Amino acid sequence: MSTTETPLKRVAYYKGCLASLSAKELDTSTQALAPQVGLELVELESVTCCGAGDIHEAEPDYYVHLNARILAYAEATGCDTLMTVCNVCTLNLRQANFMLQGDSDLLARVNENLETVGVPAYSGKVEVRHFLWEIAEGEGYERLKGAAHKGLKGLKVAPFYGCQILRPSKIMGFEDPDRPWSLERIIEACGGDAIDYPAKIKCCGFPIIAAREETALGEVIQPIEQAMEAGADVMVTPCPLCHLSLDAWQQKLEASTGKKFGLPILHLAQLVGVAAGLEESELKFKRHIVDPRPALERLEV
Amino acid sequence: MRVALKVWRYDSATGERALREYEIDAPEEATLLDCLDIVKDRHDGSLAYRKSCRMMICGSCGMRMDGAAVLACKTRMYDIAQEGRVPVISAMGNLPIVKDLVVDMDPFWAKFKAMWPWLEPGYERPEDGREYRISQERMNVVHKESLCINCGLCVSECNAMESDPEFLGPQALAKGMRFVGDPRDGATVERLERYNSEHGIWDCTRCYFCNERCPKGVDPRDAIAKLGAESIRLGIDRDMGAKHAKWFVRSAETTGWLREEELIPKTQGYVSAIKQLKFGYSLAKHGKVRPVPIPHVAKDVNEARTLHKLVREQDRQGALGHVQGEHALERLAHGHVNESLEEIYARPGAAPRPWLPEVEEAPSA
Repeated sequence: MSTTETPLKRVAYYKGCLASLSAKELDTSTQALAPQVGLELVELESVTCCGAGDIHEAEPDYYVHLNARILAYAEATGCDTLMTVCNVCTLNLRQANFMLQGDSDLLARVNENLETVGVPAYSGKVEVRHFLWEIAEGEGYERLKGAAHKGLKGLKVAPFYGCQILRPSKIMGFEDPDRPWSLERIIEACGGDAIDYPAKIKCCGFPIIAAREETALGEVIQPIEQAMEAGADVMVTPCPLCHLSLDAWQQKLEASTGKKFGLPILHLAQLVGVAAGLEESELKFKRHIVDPRPALERLEV
Repeated sequence: MRVALKVWRYDSATGERALREYEIDAPEEATLLDCLDIVKDRHDGSLAYRKSCRMMICGSCGMRMDGAAVLACKTRMYDIAQEGRVPVISAMGNLPIVKDLVVDMDPFWAKFKAMWPWLEPGYERPEDGREYRISQERMNVVHKESLCINCGLCVSECNAMESDPEFLGPQALAKGMRFVGDPRDGATVERLERYNSEHGIWDCTRCYFCNERCPKGVDPRDAIAKLGAESIRLGIDRDMGAKHAKWFVRSAETTGWLREEELIPKTQGYVSAIKQLKFGYSLAKHGKVRPVPIPHVAKDVNEARTLHKLVREQDRQGALGHVQGEHALERLAHGHVNESLEEIYARPGAAPRPWLPEVEEAPSA
């Protein structure tokens, strides 16, 4: 492993709801991996849910304020970057950030309201970046290559981006939303074999899985079937909502189609974590519905 | 320049499908539509596609290039030809193909008509008998939705419609918002009731393909969010999607974090949620949900609660809350930067600044 002199990059770490609760394994693996990829995570305490697109839809003005409050507390840590580990958090926070940055009247009004309730004002200067972006390029990527010393030994990995880290590209802006490369680059750097299939940039159905389950299942089946046809051993996603949909609802797909899938779904930090030699206590694969361990055990040989 | 294209040909009479490759000479400024015209005029007269205005306003020439819906007349081929790429051209998605690149737009227009795409009078007429005047501020609410040219690129890519073909879809719903947001319309509640149907607003899966593909900046997903906000503002919230959305608001102001375990019963109702017990048990076994949901409370959540109260008092409920951010987001779409024209033209490799007689004197050389 390289012993680089460069200090860790301090980022304000916004977990979001899922990594705090149903996807705790995402939090523990991210925290364990962070120093190895050059990140010092400054955990935010006084923050809430970003609204997940639902508050954006139901009460858009409250949505802007809630997200401004998160950004304000991120700024108060002295970090320039607010790091997310969820597509939906990324879109909600980036969108609110651009609204505030591009409209000084709105920023002034929101700040007045924040100050009324005792929240520090927000200058508009924080940048919201997903963990994926931090390790797909620059210093993070260089460190990742060193950290992934155990490698994935040709494991066939299906990258699944999901929607809200690619689109709308004017808000996300990291990579071509139709020809993304970041997950593939990370998979290859970890010694895996990135497989290609058309649905990797499509929707997992999660936002409507509670209200329109049948429609959502019609979406989530596409990446699972296509990835398996292309020979995937596992799938990796940067979003815990996609993860929940693909992992937990897979049993419902099996029940409704009569097919057997059993495709393990890994969080991004877990996939890199396997290559970096993290322990089960950090990866927490036992929390998955489809257990990834049988597919990964073959790597030990 | 030499342009090579692969075109998916389709004959609905025989059901025959074939990928044909064409190589043509085209002027450097040629669009995809110009290239198809050259193919049809000089190489293969049997190729079928729609076109009319050739200037991005009639909305006829929607098709897919390498799987992504585009207006053929808005797509320049220069860079692709330089790279030596051979793009694959095919018909739009989510609509039946009639021939080659021509799709049957009837299902599209049926959904369009289902929105009542006209103003329902019902407003008070000005007493002096003059025309009804509307402030710019009120029209800003439907500005983006009014830009729609009915090309169908958003519908082509809609992930929810692929799964539920009856979904009203991004174009129709954006059109619906154009009338819901219009202060002259007298049928707001009736419209929202209609758009809240099983295949309406809450079918949208938020894949954002519509915003990505729209060639006119309508941002149909944002229009759907406005309809959701207007529905909830007016108490039209019986749909499970609306209940789902409201639960996030309730969670944010009570515990700060989403009260995940209660989400399904709050969305579907406690009686229907019983059907999910077995599924819930399978999640509980892996610690995904807890048998007894002890609220996970964020620090200083009282701030989030007071903020909610404060914001509601300021009365920007409904679509207005979305509209206030549009101007800022539009700056992103148009690539606005905080640079003066002088700075932009001084960038390395920038095009020379055009000479405008009223602004400056003619360059000496």
